[in-house]
Amino acid sequence: MIAHVAEAGEGRGRVVLHLTQATPSPVAIAAAVRIAQAFHSEIESLFVEDATLLDIAGLPFAREISLSGRHRRELSPEGVARQMRAAAMTLSRRISELARRADVPLHLTVVRNDPIRALAEACAARGPWNVVALGEPVAALSGEQIALLFSSIPGTTGLVLVGPRAKRAEGRIVAVVEDIGHFDAVLRTARRLHAGDETTKLTLLLVSDSAEEAAIMDEQARLALGEDDTIEILRARIESAEPAMAAEVIRRLSAGFIVGRFGGLLLPPRADLRSLAAVLECPLFLMR
Amino acid sequence: MFFKRSQPEAGKSRDNARAATAAAPEPTPLAVAELRRTVDPAALGFASTADLEPISGLIGQERALKAIQFGANMRSNDFNVFVLGPPASGKSTAVKQYLTRKAHEEAAPSDWVYVNNFDNPNRPRAIRLPAGRARSLAKAMIAVIDELRSTLPATFEGEDYQARRRSIEEEFRSGQEESFEALNKRAAEQNIAIVRTPTGFVMAPTHEGKIVKPEVFNTLPEGMRKEIETRIEGLQKDLEQILERMPKSDKQRRQRVNDLNTEVATVAVREALDDVQAAFAEEAEVQTYLEEAGKDLVRNVGLFLVQTGEESEIVKQPADTARDPRFRRYMVNVMVGNGEAPDEGAPLYEELNPTFGNVVGRVEHIAQMGALVTDFLLIKPGALHRANGGYLLVDARKLLLSPFAWEALKRTLKAREIRIEQPSEVSGLISTQTLDPEPIPLEIKVVLFGDRELYYMLATYDPDFAGLFKVQADFDESIERSSENDHAYARLIASLVREHNLKPANVAAVARLIEEGARLADDREKLSIQIGHLADIVREADYWASDAGSAEITREAVVRAVEEHTQRADRLRDRSQETIAREIVLVDTEGAQVGQINGLSVLQLGNFSFGRPSRITARVRMGSGRVTDIEREAKLGGPLHSKGVMILWGYLAGTFAQDVPLAMAATLVFEQSYGGVDGDSASSAELYALLSALSEVPISQSFAVTGSVNQNGEVQAIGGVNEKIEGFFDVCKARGLTGGQGVLIPKSNVQHLMLREDVVEAARQGQFSIYAVERVSQGIEILTGVKAGERGPDGEFPAGTVNRLVEDKLRLLAERARVFGMRSSSAGAPANNGDRTS
Repeated sequence: MIAHVAEAGEGRGRVVLHLTQATPSPVAIAAAVRIAQAFHSEIESLFVEDATLLDIAGLPFAREISLSGRHRRELSPEGVARQMRAAAMTLSRRISELARRADVPLHLTVVRNDPIRALAEACAARGPWNVVALGEPVAALSGEQIALLFSSIPGTTGLVLVGPRAKRAEGRIVAVVEDIGHFDAVLRTARRLHAGDETTKLTLLLVSDSAEEAAIMDEQARLALGEDDTIEILRARIESAEPAMAAEVIRRLSAGFIVGRFGGLLLPPRADLRSLAAVLECPLFLMR
Repeated sequence: MFFKRSQPEAGKSRDNARAATAAAPEPTPLAVAELRRTVDPAALGFASTADLEPISGLIGQERALKAIQFGANMRSNDFNVFVLGPPASGKSTAVKQYLTRKAHEEAAPSDWVYVNNFDNPNRPRAIRLPAGRARSLAKAMIAVIDELRSTLPATFEGEDYQARRRSIEEEFRSGQEESFEALNKRAAEQNIAIVRTPTGFVMAPTHEGKIVKPEVFNTLPEGMRKEIETRIEGLQKDLEQILERMPKSDKQRRQRVNDLNTEVATVAVREALDDVQAAFAEEAEVQTYLEEAGKDLVRNVGLFLVQTGEESEIVKQPADTARDPRFRRYMVNVMVGNGEAPDEGAPLYEELNPTFGNVVGRVEHIAQMGALVTDFLLIKPGALHRANGGYLLVDARKLLLSPFAWEALKRTLKAREIRIEQPSEVSGLISTQTLDPEPIPLEIKVVLFGDRELYYMLATYDPDFAGLFKVQADFDESIERSSENDHAYARLIASLVREHNLKPANVAAVARLIEEGARLADDREKLSIQIGHLADIVREADYWASDAGSAEITREAVVRAVEEHTQRADRLRDRSQETIAREIVLVDTEGAQVGQINGLSVLQLGNFSFGRPSRITARVRMGSGRVTDIEREAKLGGPLHSKGVMILWGYLAGTFAQDVPLAMAATLVFEQSYGGVDGDSASSAELYALLSALSEVPISQSFAVTGSVNQNGEVQAIGGVNEKIEGFFDVCKARGLTGGQGVLIPKSNVQHLMLREDVVEAARQGQFSIYAVERVSQGIEILTGVKAGERGPDGEFPAGTVNRLVEDKLRLLAERARVFGMRSSSAGAPANNGDRTS
């Protein structure tokens, strides 16, 4: 993962920004740029022309029903392909401009493939220090989906996603720690993202399901941080890995970026995370 | 072009005339005591103004003060007061002193505020509040908004609201998702996949979870293909139904969320308004307003849930609520806040710049994105608002000079309510969208200040004026001179000394100031009460006393102040004197001349006036009985001057040659006068010149003359007698006083004499004389040294008198005219107008 690259003093990692013909979230793109800046890495803008959709468009009865349900439209492979090319060009221009302004190297790629497979292949080609940023907001988020992404794309060390209500990629950086064993890795990543920001404090959120566990973690964290007053420590108790409680914790943070690990109290691997996605206003950076 | 002064044998001709005529008795000049009324310091009875109790208010203005009292006490909107009188007469100070006391004894009037009209923002609501409560309401509303800025976000962020909101969202979302999931499930059972596109949904057949590719699909038996298409068609219809239901469902969801928001916000708003509602429980209008504001707050709760960048990024503190544009509509615009100080009383407000906006108030605009916008907070009070319930003082001239202001004041007084309109609206020139604030009832007493000319002009030409300003407070320029008033005047000086923090004036200085007061009044029987002018002299005297190192204002300092004041203004007088001294302007002060006399005129230059002698000449010849006033012919003479000339002609006609026609033509001229001449004060001089010309008896040029005459030969009073005498005195003094020089003045002007001390001193030493005359006959005797003559029992004037010589000359001219007329008619010559002589 990119955090490891920085730790190891290696040259550079890569942020793979996954784009489709669906309209991407500006926050997701901004998050990708911010991570690339923080870790001095490049962005690979991977526009995937969904092959499945092209196949469907080739069926003789292919019709698209509008989102309102009031209109039907005939589909053709040529028409869909034309739409995809136009979307790719528009996004390329937009991302190029953002990368130029942020002084981040950019590599543009357009492939026609199954979206997941395209991501896996792109990460495998230049791995393993990839972070995948999903351009399309994820509304129907579930632990299984995230787990599937991590398992399908072995060449990635982290996943950045945004919800449909994403508003910002600036502001308070929150490092979520549920296991003191991961304290160092999560905090280091968060510090990289926070570097240069003197207006806000970096927040360390210690999440546990019991008061005892929380007290122990707090003690350990303070010991590790020593006199560092640039970090504020908060505690949150989430019992039974309840997604609604996790969503409330996330909402109250009003964060600009959340860094954490997948598979715990905040993001249980088998839970329905739609309530969390509904309150998520900033990018969520999940480390493998 | 300048003329060289002729040198006639003046003295000789006068002597010859005396030899052939009856000598008049030596005239008696006025006694020195009559030339200036002095004040004996010892009679004043104090040492300096430090011993005196300063006087409050005015002296000798009882009539005006009674009028002001009457006007102030009349509780009627049309009994407003017009204070008229000369400038710097202290009328404004006196009115303010009286009204300040009176206003202080009265109760403070109501406060007035403008608040937003939530139903019609273009018509802000005016609310009356008890005195001193307006600012409390304004502060209370700021406090309400401040509280809501804290409580509303906290309430909407709170667990209770969020849980209920989530419940609603979940309820609707799960309903939709369940429908979708059911459709997905049905589709999967039929091996159909529903795929999302950027702009909608498509369906495709699947095999073992994978989309069937088109080339594979096309190889399927036609029956199977048809069946798949039929299945997909059915599913698409179901999908369309689900999607079409979504907007309705979303609308219901929004309604539920809105209901929840209203319920939560209502509780918070009610709690925030509780205190202010209790504080203003007695005020029905405020209660209504708070009710409406509460509803609007609930409707616009979103305003409180939006965090501005300023708040979150820069100061980390809430911005000033009163200046936050989001909350302007809930602020209170205090138009009038009275009674904030204890015993403040009714307002007394003087508007120094009475423009339209400053009088009736205005609606200001601010530029926003290139457009001018306004709201009820930009309504600015005018003088009428500030003085409502009390007294408004305005200078009438300034008011009349401000476009629209006078008409606006009248309109407001008539309507008894203050209606704020733009001048463009009033004139109907421009129609801009602006506010139409509710009018505010008006109960006020307006006091206008102006001079008499303005008052009478308004009374004549403005039909509304008399109806609205029914009380006239007429301030006199002067008061009677008496020992009591002298003392009161001394106290007035003492009050000026105290008011301006000056050195005390000693009694001699006060005496000199009283004399100056009489001089300012142009009347030794009066004292000027032009306080401003008197205060200037006292302050300048204080300066010169300091300059001289004196601890008190002395008589010398007062004299210096008067002299310096004069000197600063008398450059033109010096120039005028210089032209006479250099004989550019010809004025004789010695010798005698037939048909020539020194007249006197006064030049007014701003606040400074001075006298100047002018040569007046008369020529006579045979004619048809007409006096040609050259000033009038040259359009340099005013109507009063022409009238004087016609009167003296009447005198001639009535006095002489009653049995023969006036076969005479005469010309009268003010020599070397290139400006306008008006007034009849030179008519006696002109008559003397005419009599001299007719009688051919020379007039002594050592004299100058002023006074008007009537047809009976009586010499009448004129103005500026002191300046005129001093003007001739200065010319004579410059050439050297001979002892024979002097001025003839009407006897009725003796009471006005307050001559300069140097003139008085010259008279005391016999170097200069003032003669008071009642009749023309007296004047001509002094001027010519020849008896005027009275008709005897035979109806004739005695031989050798001026009148006899005049009558003889007129008879001679009449006879010549008769002979000339007979010759002309026998020769068939055309009749002439008599102005030509053969």
